[in-house]
Amino acid sequence: MADPIPLHVNGAERRITAPAGLSLLSALRDQLDLTGAKYSCGEGQCGACTVLIDGKPVRSCLVPAASAAGKRIETVEGLERNGVLHPLQQAFLDKAAFQCGYCTPGFLMASVALLRRRPNPTPTQIRSELNGHLCRCGAYPRIVEAVRIAASRKR
Amino acid sequence: MDPKTRYKIETFDIEPDRFEIFAPSAHRLEFSRREFFATLGAGILYVISAQDAAGQQPERIAMRLHLAPSGLITVLTGKVDIGQGLRTLLTQAAAEELRVPPHQIRIQTADTAITPDDGGTWASLTTPQTVPVVRRAAAALRQAGFQPQALQQTVASSVTLTDPKDWKILGTSLPTVNGRDIVTGRQQYGSDLKIEGMLHGRILRPPSYNATLTALDTSQATNLPGVRIVRDGTLAGVVAAGESTAAAALALLKPQWKESPLPDPSTLYDHFRKTAEAPVFQKGSRYPALLEAGAVADAMRTAARRHQTTYTAQYIAHAALECRSAIAVWEGRKLTVHCGTQAPQVVRRELAGAFRIPLADVRLIVSTIGAGFGSKHRGECELEAAALARAAGKPVRLAWSREDEFLAGYFRPAALVDVNTAVDANHRITAWDFHNYNSGAAGIAIPYTIPNYYCGFHKSASPLRQGSYRSLAAVANTFARESHLDELAHLASADPLQYRLRHIEDPRLRHVLEEGARLFPWPSRSKGAGLACTIEKDARLALFAQMESPAKVARLLLVFDCGAVLNPDNLRNQLTGALIQGIGGALFEAIRYDTRQVLTHRLSRYRLPRFADLPAIDVHLIDRRDVPPAGAGEAGITLVAPALANAIFSLTAERRRALPLSPSPAFKT
Ligand code: FES
Ligand code: FES
Repeated sequence: MADPIPLHVNGAERRITAPAGLSLLSALRDQLDLTGAKYSCGEGQCGACTVLIDGKPVRSCLVPAASAAGKRIETVEGLERNGVLHPLQQAFLDKAAFQCGYCTPGFLMASVALLRRRPNPTPTQIRSELNGHLCRCGAYPRIVEAVRIAASRKR
Repeated sequence: MDPKTRYKIETFDIEPDRFEIFAPSAHRLEFSRREFFATLGAGILYVISAQDAAGQQPERIAMRLHLAPSGLITVLTGKVDIGQGLRTLLTQAAAEELRVPPHQIRIQTADTAITPDDGGTWASLTTPQTVPVVRRAAAALRQAGFQPQALQQTVASSVTLTDPKDWKILGTSLPTVNGRDIVTGRQQYGSDLKIEGMLHGRILRPPSYNATLTALDTSQATNLPGVRIVRDGTLAGVVAAGESTAAAALALLKPQWKESPLPDPSTLYDHFRKTAEAPVFQKGSRYPALLEAGAVADAMRTAARRHQTTYTAQYIAHAALECRSAIAVWEGRKLTVHCGTQAPQVVRRELAGAFRIPLADVRLIVSTIGAGFGSKHRGECELEAAALARAAGKPVRLAWSREDEFLAGYFRPAALVDVNTAVDANHRITAWDFHNYNSGAAGIAIPYTIPNYYCGFHKSASPLRQGSYRSLAAVANTFARESHLDELAHLASADPLQYRLRHIEDPRLRHVLEEGARLFPWPSRSKGAGLACTIEKDARLALFAQMESPAKVARLLLVFDCGAVLNPDNLRNQLTGALIQGIGGALFEAIRYDTRQVLTHRLSRYRLPRFADLPAIDVHLIDRRDVPPAGAGEAGITLVAPALANAIFSLTAERRRALPLSPSPAFKT
């Protein structure tokens, strides 16, 4: 059995055991019960598994869990603070920017990273930034609107 | 297949396009051969529920509604939440008729131990069937003064429902009731579930599409700690304490296979023609495979002009974002499966049949599903999980990979459609001869007034497993019909809108076309505009499209009339999604395969619509409170391909009759 490794997830110190080849996605979902990040393709095509590592969006299905040791990880579960939704969560909710909602956590995390880097993105910038994410239900137009609304509302 | 061993279906009141429902199970489990045939010979009945067949059955209020002392009211439904807005619509239905605020309502979706059988979650039936059933039970309870004794009463057929013009909650855009769970990541999908003490399974998949396992060397795999190898009939797999161990064990198995080739894909459409059966008329069927009137042959003979064309559509994948998974738990001979199927009662019967246990001993608990689009009607994954769990003697979770979805699921059927028409000297259509090969009967009816017609669906042998997809064969059939209409308009040097209107009597269909023409506006001043219209599941719709290039849509405008609108925002969301999904199938989606295997078996090989493919989209709803609401979620998808094909013709003067219309080079077949 591999030694436990520390992960900083959503501001808390957690421990996982990471056999070689275990993805960060599996570690989060199976060991830490953080099931917000989703599996859909396992090859970086869909973005459903997106989480932030040191503020950057990554496809957690492709990241070895061991490589995230000691880094700052943010997942969808950490966005809400004291019962108050993150402005992006609120905007996705207000615009109903989802149908089944399976893609939503991935879109939210990628959008969080986008707005930190670019507080006022144009629709074109939003679309190109999120082009690597799939929403099979086709909520795309609402997702762009939601990100714009979140940007226009000050936190 | 020997007719004795064929799966029987008790009611024909199901679209013949639902090939997956008629198909045998993915695996034959271990029984003596004699026992096996005895079971099948007796007939595993996929009884499609009474609700599906007849619309409604009298039922006790208690089957539908529970009252808690806290005032919380639970609505029970056998349907499942696949992102179509089920929970929200049923909340509105119950709140409206009970006159209580929506937050007092909870929705219990399919759990076969406690919810009634509402049929499969398919064909946009939630709105026309399940909503009325819930409204009736709720109205009956309110009219009985919320008395707990009233729960034991049967819902009288005479119960009065709130007149749509007086609706206060229905007809409004109540926000998605589980929206907060979705944005916080708290929404649990089937693949998020865990059960105390469960093990993890993996299934051994063949290296090619048609292969049977002939030998299995398990010596290395069994060396791994805690690994159990399972062989049960045609199924082989592994079970281990963790997913990585299960994956490692699977990789150590040394199987031998007997492979048999697929027919050469370039001969697919010939193959359909060669294996075609004649269309069969079924009296009383809601989904006839044959429609005819007048004398087509005579009209053809006396025609001023005839026009004959053939249209095709490739297999495509549903690719719902959530891959299916199941957790199976045996207690003695009783089986419980947590899963994400769209058709709980179908899968329940499949499992009871496969394990030869009474139906009452199979319980399915269905989680919220990361979409389905028709892909999750059968118990492939549930059966595999249950077989592994039976062998392991412990609860087993089986999660399919994306590759499993492509290789062990089923596709939307490929289609071959012949259209042969006759017009008189004034270019009026006098005869319509329409033949769908392989893909299905949905959408063969014509919304135009044509005195002589023959519309038939020919069953053919499909080399790939195929089944339900959003709107079924209506996508291929509407593509063929609406493309052909445009061709006739062109031959008549007529405007395609005016040409259609000359053949349409239905006032609501005329209205969506005229409304779309006003808003678009039509005729368009620029090249590259196209349109299509249809009556789909009682809804009337018209789509106007503007193409920028044959591979890029600039704008879509949909006018949609499905009667009374239950939730405008949800309907707009569904329709927009259906249009976007339609762009994929229309322009570039296609399953590629060779004589051995499906080649597009991952998302990196199978292109799906993304932001870059997105046009500007307008959806205009026509809300008719005087017309009972028709199912709506899927209909938008049927018009995309023909509107785009017609727009491409306007842009390039080239008539494209094969779907996908603009395959990207890397995906070309
Ligand atoms: S699951 Fe990681 S990108 Fe699709
Ligand atoms: S909402 Fe279903 S995949 Fe995006």
